[in-house]
Amino acid sequence: MSILSLYLAGCQQKHNAHTAFYYWKTTFRLDQQQKELLNKTSDNRLFLHFFDVTWNEQLHEAIPNGVIDIRTPIQQLKVSPVVYITNQTFQNMKVKDSDSLAFKVNKLLNQLVAAQHINYTLVQIDCDWTVGTREKYFSFLKAFKRFNGKQLQATIRLHQIKYPERTGVPPVDKGLLMFYNMGKISAGLNASNSIYNKEDAAAYTGSLTNYRLPLDVALPAFSWAIQIRGAEVVQLYGKIGLADLAAAQNFEPINKGIGKIAENVFIYKSRKSFYIKGIYIKKDDLFKLETMDAGSINQAAAQLTQKLSPLENRNIIYYELSSISTSSLYEKDIRKITAHF
Amino acid sequence: MKKISGKLLLIFSLALLSAGGIVWACGGGDWDDGEYSNFTPEAFVDHQYSPFFYTSWQAYYGTDINDNSNTRYNEQVVKEWGDYLDHKVNSKDLAALLFTASPGEVDSSYRYFKGQMQLLPAYIPDLKSTSLPKAKVDAFFSYLTLAKQCESFAISDVQYSWDVKTTVVNPAPQLKTNLMIAFDHSNDQFIKQRLWFQLIRYSYFEELPALNTDSSAGPDHSGLVTLFNKYESAFPKNSIYYRALGYLAGHYYKRKDYAQANYIYSLCYNYSSAMKIPSKWSFHPQNEKDWKQSLLLAKNKEEQITLWQMLGIVHDESRAIEKIYSLNPQSDKLDLLLSRLINKAERPGDRYEIDSINSIKINANDLALVERIATNGNTHKPYFWNLAAGYLNTLNKNYIASGKFYNQAKKQLPENDRLVEAQYRLLDWTLYLARLTKIDAKAEKEMVSRLNWLADLRDKKDTIANLRYDRALTESILGLAGRYKKQGDVVKSNCFESTTGFYANNENIKALQALLTKRNKTPFEQAMLRYYHLTMKELYYHQALMLVYQENTDAAIPLLQLADDRALIDLPANPFNSRINDCHDCDFNAFQKKKYTALSFVTTIRDIKAEIAAGKNLYTNNLLLGNAYYNITHYGNARAFYQNNITGYSATSPMDIAVEFRDRFTSAKIAEKYYLIARNSAQTKEQKAKCTFMAAKCERNDLYNASYKKQAKDKKYYWDFDFSTIPVGQYFAELKNKFFQTAYYKEVLKECGYFRSYNK
Repeated sequence: MSILSLYLAGCQQKHNAHTAFYYWKTTFRLDQQQKELLNKTSDNRLFLHFFDVTWNEQLHEAIPNGVIDIRTPIQQLKVSPVVYITNQTFQNMKVKDSDSLAFKVNKLLNQLVAAQHINYTLVQIDCDWTVGTREKYFSFLKAFKRFNGKQLQATIRLHQIKYPERTGVPPVDKGLLMFYNMGKISAGLNASNSIYNKEDAAAYTGSLTNYRLPLDVALPAFSWAIQIRGAEVVQLYGKIGLADLAAAQNFEPINKGIGKIAENVFIYKSRKSFYIKGIYIKKDDLFKLETMDAGSINQAAAQLTQKLSPLENRNIIYYELSSISTSSLYEKDIRKITAHF
Repeated sequence: MKKISGKLLLIFSLALLSAGGIVWACGGGDWDDGEYSNFTPEAFVDHQYSPFFYTSWQAYYGTDINDNSNTRYNEQVVKEWGDYLDHKVNSKDLAALLFTASPGEVDSSYRYFKGQMQLLPAYIPDLKSTSLPKAKVDAFFSYLTLAKQCESFAISDVQYSWDVKTTVVNPAPQLKTNLMIAFDHSNDQFIKQRLWFQLIRYSYFEELPALNTDSSAGPDHSGLVTLFNKYESAFPKNSIYYRALGYLAGHYYKRKDYAQANYIYSLCYNYSSAMKIPSKWSFHPQNEKDWKQSLLLAKNKEEQITLWQMLGIVHDESRAIEKIYSLNPQSDKLDLLLSRLINKAERPGDRYEIDSINSIKINANDLALVERIATNGNTHKPYFWNLAAGYLNTLNKNYIASGKFYNQAKKQLPENDRLVEAQYRLLDWTLYLARLTKIDAKAEKEMVSRLNWLADLRDKKDTIANLRYDRALTESILGLAGRYKKQGDVVKSNCFESTTGFYANNENIKALQALLTKRNKTPFEQAMLRYYHLTMKELYYHQALMLVYQENTDAAIPLLQLADDRALIDLPANPFNSRINDCHDCDFNAFQKKKYTALSFVTTIRDIKAEIAAGKNLYTNNLLLGNAYYNITHYGNARAFYQNNITGYSATSPMDIAVEFRDRFTSAKIAEKYYLIARNSAQTKEQKAKCTFMAAKCERNDLYNASYKKQAKDKKYYWDFDFSTIPVGQYFAELKNKFFQTAYYKEVLKECGYFRSYNK
């Protein structure tokens, strides 16, 4: 037993992974609990979503959207800016415009960063590109790197890991594997957790070993509730949790009063029509809650490390800080999970 | 409205986790609502509610929506000032002064009026020549000067841009003092009320920065509520009043007093058409407690009804109907909710591919509610409820109930309302179709007028504004085609919905031709043929085509002649040429001394065959036939020869070709036969090598075909297709073993990668 512990401890130190957090809301404001978590577990490493780039149908051009509004002082944090670009942007724009888009994104980003006196060494571009947009996206990335000069990272989704020969490997310094959203968000009452489940994940992890980029990893530290009406998905909410659904005057658990239908999946049925937290719920609506707890994130990390090529100074980014209080994740859990890498 | 499409593939779209808590919005499918809808809201609901007619794909229904916060009230404002200035200033000049002139230009206009300026640039409106009393113009310009200063903070010019937004302009304190002084000194009710509005708006923006930072508020230093309450009753309840009220609601909303905010928004919503969109957009009850408080704030039933209508259009039509009906069954606010309930119910589910109404499930509670109200008959539009109840029952396949409700509606229809009348006809017709089990002569006679009417609507020979008839049209076409097919009448079935399989049988085509050329068509046949899309010429061409692939050239030629212009279109390349590597574009671009049409192509085949029969130029002629029959396969340069309205135009893979014709258009067996005959007649080794390679191409194509077939059977994707594993066949071996010394062999080695790799 003690030998095993020692061995594991040895493993934990081996590759020196760093914890970091995503922050994705448009208003950056941290409460005390979030500040402490950030400080104590990640040494203030933050991947901060600065803005989106979306396609504007009226203007027929790519425009920035949801530019971050920073309300909590940020100078003492180690920020890596993140820009999310919709795939639709690349579907609509022309290859020749990649260069000017890259220029504009870089300019806006640097203005925002300068206003906050942030120094950064790595910048992340997040885009769910496809075969059809690959050429435009990749030429954007090349141009962006030219303008920006910092270490460039691109997010990699699981389907892109599985079919690199079709979707290509982005021309960047580093990838960020998004190890979540592996299932379809469904109204089905017997589906497994769409955020993470071991079986769906296994379909992708096999391709990891040979991926041609060094990979940071993003892990799901979030939960969401899927509102279902008449066998159709109505909406997805991050702010509805077990505490809301457990209120017996509002909801009843299905499945003989247990509620749980699969690992970290719970279904509740509303007893009446009412408003809660700005959400309107209709009588008989179903809420399928998909959660991630320390155990399941740990499992995801363990599954991933079996296939991931070794890397020094890997960032393990938890998604995401603004909603983390609801997922009951503690410092020690995070340390333990990061230590897998 | 788009053209009808038989099948709509409905696709989900996914979005990322975003800020507000709502992380994924499922807007439903991406389609034109008219395509699936049989129920026209315009027939029943007051136009002022039209932005909120149900639509699955845009924020507001209709194309005439002004959703620009900065310009929404401009027309109204110009009208009010026009009235105030006794209509002595034209609207264009007024609009220019009010909305676009700079403070400097306003000042110039005023100084010119006062005689302090001799010349006024032409683009600045001149009020001097209007003979308006000086006091009125003074009041106008004094107000306008202050109002222009308020624009800096009140007009949010949300232009999305790559430049970092300049910081929000905070109202200057001096401006408030000036507004207050002007307000206190003004004796003119019109001006005074507008200054009051400016002060309230000012106060809203004054406290906004603090509230944005900390919504927990603190005392209201802006004095907004006091100012509002103090003078509220001093002014008429006009649009300026309600716009001020909107800022009061905003004030409460920012301070998280949702009960007050939403109640006040409902008052604004109820006031005018122009205020409906922003009020509905702002309406956000948070928890059941504040929603109930909003209801308690309502001063009467009508105000409660408005609140329920808002809840209904945002979230829950049936609950709102239930409540409003219990408050006042005669309320016209029920109309919009019922139209939305119906339009939502008839929308196909997200996960379905629809070609009929089969996939629709009607919520039992909704159905019971609509039936109950329809049966009670005490609303202000009983026919609307009966039509709605009838239609829901049709969707639910309860046709007897449907009929009862429609009969009731028929007696209640308003006179001289074409749209409502057309809506009734349409619903009645789709019920008739749904109940139709066997089509006999009597039924055919009954259907004539409706079928002609729908065809008239489709062809725009009859137009009824806003009427949604696409679903009825689709259901008619598919429904009748299906029933005739069931009855074994494939010709009539095909008249409504053409299927490729029908044309694989020449007897079918002949029967159809007989119908098309029949002299005394019955009224039903005439109506039915309005749904058939092909001409006699197209049918002749298709028949000729089939004969060509059966090598019955002589029989094909007269049919091609009957096909007329269809057979006289130039083929893109010379169909008698061949090349080592297939390259359609190269052939299309190559110089063509002679252009072939389908007709001249087939007559040339006939002439070549005649020469062969006479024993002339056997090598060349058979090689030409090999090329000709190769080129009219999928792999050749003359796909255009076999592409028509029946066989389809867009196949890029053999698997895209309709299964009925796939073998015919992909098999190279005929070509291979002629290449081998040519080889037998060849004089030189070079010629023989060429024929062997051409036969190898035919052989390989047939191997590809077999692979594609297997691929489809194994349900594999196209990207998994592995050409390299295709067996090489006998002619590659013959070419390699027997003709390796020829120049042609070396050319093949250079051009053809497959042969090269085979050779290694």
